[in-house]
Amino acid sequence: MSPVRRGETLPIHNRIRVLRAERGMSRAQLAELVEVNPQTVGALERGDHYPSLDLAFRICDVFGLPVEAVFSRTEFGPLSTEVYRIRTATEGRDAQ
Amino acid sequence: MPVHDATLLERYEAYRTRRFLRNEEKFRNMLPRWRTRRRRRILVVALAATFVLMFTVGVLCHFFERGPLLWLPACLAFFPLWISLQIVSGRQGDAPRAALDEREIQERNSARSIALTVTQSLVMIPVLYLVVGSVQTDGMHPRMAYAGGLMTLTATLIGGCLPAMILAWNSPDPDETD
Repeated sequence: MSPVRRGETLPIHNRIRVLRAERGMSRAQLAELVEVNPQTVGALERGDHYPSLDLAFRICDVFGLPVEAVFSRTEFGPLSTEVYRIRTATEGRDAQ
Repeated sequence: MPVHDATLLERYEAYRTRRFLRNEEKFRNMLPRWRTRRRRRILVVALAATFVLMFTVGVLCHFFERGPLLWLPACLAFFPLWISLQIVSGRQGDAPRAALDEREIQERNSARSIALTVTQSLVMIPVLYLVVGSVQTDGMHPRMAYAGGLMTLTATLIGGCLPAMILAWNSPDPDETD
């Protein structure tokens, strides 16, 4: 659900499910850390609820990542692919 | 905020929240098999059927002197259904603000807004019945006030219960442990 009043609703994609799984964290654990109901974490992961800025920052604090690493207007690709791409680009620059 | 700065309203809200959380803890594990979406929807439909019965009793009271007797079975159905629905839906419809997170507040506000509109529309039925009826009968119909009262009571009950019914209907199944 978007908090925007009028106009086109723009999507907000997130990586919460992947980041949570990576850290072996359950929905209930994440919910407790950010002080929401576990069903709200489920709604965020499904894209049924768009978080407020406050909640977004709380979630990012838990994962120790900047907002743009967790939330995006465009759909996220697989995390492993992105990490590999960055690493390859860095190694390519170093080689030059 | 320090306690001495809190207004009476804030202190009351804090008390309500504490009481709500205490009760939530008490009822959290009750009726576990009725907490699925399917079962919650069964309760909502049964409650809606009870309201239809209540309204019908109100209408029957206009025609029959013994109509009010039917109100008793409607009440007998209403109370267990309503209490069960409140337990399995975690009383989200009337929970204090501080006990809910942002998504729950958003959904609760939306459900309350719908309930207000429905109540306003439904209450117009007994209002028109009483106003038009009293003019036409010069206020001499012996059962009109009673019938109108029951219809108004039913409309008010629907308005009061509707937020919980909407939330219980829409909430997904409890998350599986992951």
